Amino acid sequence: MSDKVTFWYGCNVVRHGDIIRAAIALLEAVGVEVTPAGGAGYCCGTAKDANLRAAEGMARRTVEKFNQHGHGAVVTWCPSCHRHMNGFMREYNDPQFSFAHITQILHQRRERLAARLTHRVERRAMLHQHFGFHEVDVNPLIVDLLKLVPGLELVVPDYAAPGHMCSALAPVPRALPDATRATCEAVRAAGADTVVTVFHSCQRLLCGLESTEPFHVVNYVSLLTAAMGIELPDEYKAWKNAGSEEKVMELIGAERIAAAGDRFFREAILPELMRRPQK
Amino acid sequence: MSVTNFPAKPATLIEHLGQFIADTLTRCTRCGACFKACPMTGYAPGLPAADAQDVVAGVLGLLRQEAGTADALAWIEACTQSGRCSAACPEGINAMKMMRVARMSALGSLGAPRKIAPREEKGFFRRIGAFSQLQFSADEIEKWQR
Ligand code: SF4
Repeated sequence: MSDKVTFWYGCNVVRHGDIIRAAIALLEAVGVEVTPAGGAGYCCGTAKDANLRAAEGMARRTVEKFNQHGHGAVVTWCPSCHRHMNGFMREYNDPQFSFAHITQILHQRRERLAARLTHRVERRAMLHQHFGFHEVDVNPLIVDLLKLVPGLELVVPDYAAPGHMCSALAPVPRALPDATRATCEAVRAAGADTVVTVFHSCQRLLCGLESTEPFHVVNYVSLLTAAMGIELPDEYKAWKNAGSEEKVMELIGAERIAAAGDRFFREAILPELMRRPQK
Repeated sequence: MSVTNFPAKPATLIEHLGQFIADTLTRCTRCGACFKACPMTGYAPGLPAADAQDVVAGVLGLLRQEAGTADALAWIEACTQSGRCSAACPEGINAMKMMRVARMSALGSLGAPRKIAPREEKGFFRRIGAFSQLQFSADEIEKWQR
């Protein structure tokens, strides 16, 4: 893969600006120059199974934009986007680029990354795994990457949740609470102080556990950037664990709430931030 | 010399789905290995006791734009795209994609009447836009999201 790529982070990950910035910092640390691209304007259309005309239009527009970037290479973050590109989008479009998942790029260039990981991260961390992203076997790649972090004790449990990430479980009754409970039990058995998430939706759906459980929930890219000496605050997690609507609004601030739209914030964003993980 | 005619690259999503459905219907032997490998069947009432070959026959019916069966629809609703089905298929069919396309059929996207409710989150793009405003500067939104 070339040294100049489009970094396609996806839609739902925009809740986690820290993850996107950390991912960019890691790609740059291994010598990759990135054009970040994501949000609604780069949607893959995977959520539009009930409206295939819309799905096709979104996919076509996104592929055309990547072609216009002209890098010949796209690095994905989101497993749903990666899967949709692999299984649908490229089948009826004319992508003029190769694509790979970020874990593959970081793993290929892990010697360069290792040289940058000079800060100790003293944690006993357990990997939260799913077994459904069969396009890329991410778990062993991430284990190898996290082994490079000085001071980090990594526990890889036997348990892996179904689906490719936690959001896939949410629509199936009992499935997400079962996975959350199994994750909590595995952390206790491992004696870990940190759960390491791989994907953004796992971070989103598990980070609220910090209010009630004796462990932290941290995405793997945050551990890697911490080892580079870069601390990027996880604001979504802070909002999720703020404890009251007033505190959430205080943390976010009136200016940002106004930019998001006061009414929409109250009706849609605040309820999401106040929702507790079920187990 | 034998000549194999490969289908032309499809120009639209619907054409692609048509080719995928035709190929799957040709190759699937209804052995049921995909259903047996699924880690999610326990999440749908009655499915653990269902006959694997019958459930797959219902899924193939959906691909043909037929009515399908209650068990096939229940399996589709419990699917989390774990991909164990694809790994189990002795014919090399992407059974996970077969389930996804059967879901599109069940949603009424391929011509047959809708049989299951869409899961699409209400206000999805509005939510993405709002979180972008909370997490990014105007400059980042302009450069990274337009
Ligand atoms: S395992 Fe493959 S051949 Fe067997 S029923 Fe499933 S899709 Fe068909």
